[in-house]
Amino acid sequence: MEPRMPKCYKKESKPSSFCPGCGHSLTLKNLGFVMDEMKIADSTVFATDIGCSLLAWDFFDVDTVQAHHGRVTAMAAGLKRALPKSVVLAYMGDGGGYAIGLHHLIGAARRNDPITVILVNNTLYAMTGGQMAPTTFKGENTSSSPEGAFADEEPLLGPEFLRPVCHKEAFLARTSVDNPFELKKYLKEAIETQKKGNFSFVEVLSYCPVNWKTDARGTMDFMDHLKEIYKIGVIE
Amino acid sequence: MFSHAEGKIELLTGNEIVVRAALAAGANAFFGYPITPTTEILQGWAQEAKDNKGLIYLQTEDEPAAGFGLLGAALGGKKAWTTTAGAGHLLMQDAVVVAEAMRIPFVAYIGQRGGPSTGTVIYSQQELSIARDGGNGEGFRMVLGPSNLQELYELMIKSFDIAWRYRLPVFVLGDGYLSKMTGEVELKKSATTCPAKPIVQNGKKVVNLRNCYSLEDEIATVIKEELKDFGKIAKEIEMSEALNCSDAEVVVFAWGTVGSAAREAVRKLRKEGKKVGLFRPITLKPFGATRAKQAVRKAHSILIAESAFGKFGRLVTESLFGLEGLKVERLYKPAEGILSEEIEDRLRGMLDGA
Amino acid sequence: MITRILIGGEGGQGVQAIAKVLIHAAHASGKHVAHLPNFGVEQRGGVSLAFVQIGDEEISYPKFREADVAVLLSHRSVERSKMHIGTNTKIIFDNSIIGQKELLGFRTEKIAIPASHLAKEKLIPRVFNMIVLGALTEEIGGIKEKELKKATLNYFNDKIKKKHELKHFNLAALEMGEKTIKGLRK
Repeated sequence: MEPRMPKCYKKESKPSSFCPGCGHSLTLKNLGFVMDEMKIADSTVFATDIGCSLLAWDFFDVDTVQAHHGRVTAMAAGLKRALPKSVVLAYMGDGGGYAIGLHHLIGAARRNDPITVILVNNTLYAMTGGQMAPTTFKGENTSSSPEGAFADEEPLLGPEFLRPVCHKEAFLARTSVDNPFELKKYLKEAIETQKKGNFSFVEVLSYCPVNWKTDARGTMDFMDHLKEIYKIGVIE
Repeated sequence: MFSHAEGKIELLTGNEIVVRAALAAGANAFFGYPITPTTEILQGWAQEAKDNKGLIYLQTEDEPAAGFGLLGAALGGKKAWTTTAGAGHLLMQDAVVVAEAMRIPFVAYIGQRGGPSTGTVIYSQQELSIARDGGNGEGFRMVLGPSNLQELYELMIKSFDIAWRYRLPVFVLGDGYLSKMTGEVELKKSATTCPAKPIVQNGKKVVNLRNCYSLEDEIATVIKEELKDFGKIAKEIEMSEALNCSDAEVVVFAWGTVGSAAREAVRKLRKEGKKVGLFRPITLKPFGATRAKQAVRKAHSILIAESAFGKFGRLVTESLFGLEGLKVERLYKPAEGILSEEIEDRLRGMLDGA
Repeated sequence: MITRILIGGEGGQGVQAIAKVLIHAAHASGKHVAHLPNFGVEQRGGVSLAFVQIGDEEISYPKFREADVAVLLSHRSVERSKMHIGTNTKIIFDNSIIGQKELLGFRTEKIAIPASHLAKEKLIPRVFNMIVLGALTEEIGGIKEKELKKATLNYFNDKIKKKHELKHFNLAALEMGEKTIKGLRK
């Protein structure tokens, strides 16, 4: 049986600062289990970005640093060049990764930087109060798109968008927080890909009940709808 | 005529000197993005890295990526640095505030060019304010202003020592003239600078570094500590040149290459027995206010010369605040060089007018 | 003493090459030197100026007000150099490019070297700037001939490797410049 909490959790920082029902806690918990299982907690640098991801700065008993504006990808590129034997994880949200820092993702993907990017997609800017993001889907109401977002625009499909500029051995996948088995599997495969010297990227569809303004049932329904827009699986 | 045997004197451009200095200081990682007038530095490092696999080199997708790449490498224990200019310098500030927040060593050579925006690729002293205070914090960084090629070489080496000794961002604030000009420089065989150690993966204990706080008193406490520390460091590294100031009736204030023009003007007038002096801060941050005050003890007037409209002038007048009866004249030429003859003419006028 | 030289021409004419070879030759001859290039954002097609200083004492600032020698190689460079030409400035100009009339405003000594024409007729067009350099070095003096040749060959080393005859053309151009200016003195 799996332990209740990952061994690499930093106990002093729990309970964490994430809102009740937030998908970050679930994503990070599963990432913790993966680091335990792969025995890499000591050799990992976990780099977080701006937005809710920054609340994870002391989440793990693992070397953790911070960037902002989606530049954590670039910071990870520097970390990996300095520490080729360490595992470098860049953890960010969809606003940081797909709006303000998208070209850093493209840069790292094109260079096939051996890093692992974990991008949490909850379709909006959560920390600032639920504004429209590149992942906001057609008709989704946000605090900055009260009449429904992107009437004529498609939401950005991150891994699909990056695939054409990636090395053939790069690993790109999308999964969701309501499937911990698959989430762990993809995170593990991503880190293994990094260890083999290639770029890896996992987008995690995640809950934000506070900004979605959903109850438990509504959150599940929202997630089901997301999965219709964002295809789950490995992006070949 | 000088003897070539005295030291290893070479004829190099400022940009070439910057690369040589970085290597002499033990730099081993460079992240950058092309921009005139500093592009040859990126190219120079690329050439060095081609033949030396121990050197990390990355041409990034933009200046913030160069800055953040540098931060990552510095966290990982590399002596990492970058260079940029003008609008690129503005973007680079994004990474510098992170260096300030998490106390990460950071070295950047800046080749100031004319602004705003694309401006010119040639020259200015307009980037002083953003180098000193271009962030959204208290400006925990050091700024060094070389006045000639030899000083450029020495201050570049020093910048690596300061950055790694105190874990701070350091700007060496050059300009297009300094970058592009060719002249003589005496290179050192080796230089001792503070070694780089990994901040993360340091083999000792887990490090959780952050740049975000939930409460205002929480961040205020951190800032107060930083300010105290910064003040202490500032005293240790503050540098300035005071030439012929002890009996000077008129003192010219200038920095960087304009400082060289001013020095020439002062020397020429001194030969004629005119009581003029030069005060030139070498560290623009920290700014040596006490020494500046000392320099004008006997002066009735000062002349502030800069290739910008008062960015330096405001620092000078602030540092001299409270001195009564001191007349201040200004020679402000934004984005344009200032010749020693121009400074000389103005000084003559000030001496005659007294 | 410091000799201040301004060289002005079009981007692509080899103005900065003249300056670079000159300062290396002067440095090797035991002089203090400085060179500052000055041009706009364009890689080609703008006016290119070179501020060169050669002296027995240290040079402190890379720019100067009045040149001792101004070398003018294009129409537009005449206008751009105006502010650096005084009554004591000697002008060396390419009279196969610039007409005497264009320089009427300057009441100062002028030396006409038809470098562009000579290069085309007697050598190859691209070594025109080395004809100018040969004349300029002869005019300012104090630079060893051996060092001038060495600096020239060093500067064009990569090009000469690909096209060996460039060695001959460049050296011949230096000599032609020197002879032309000497001939004018007689």
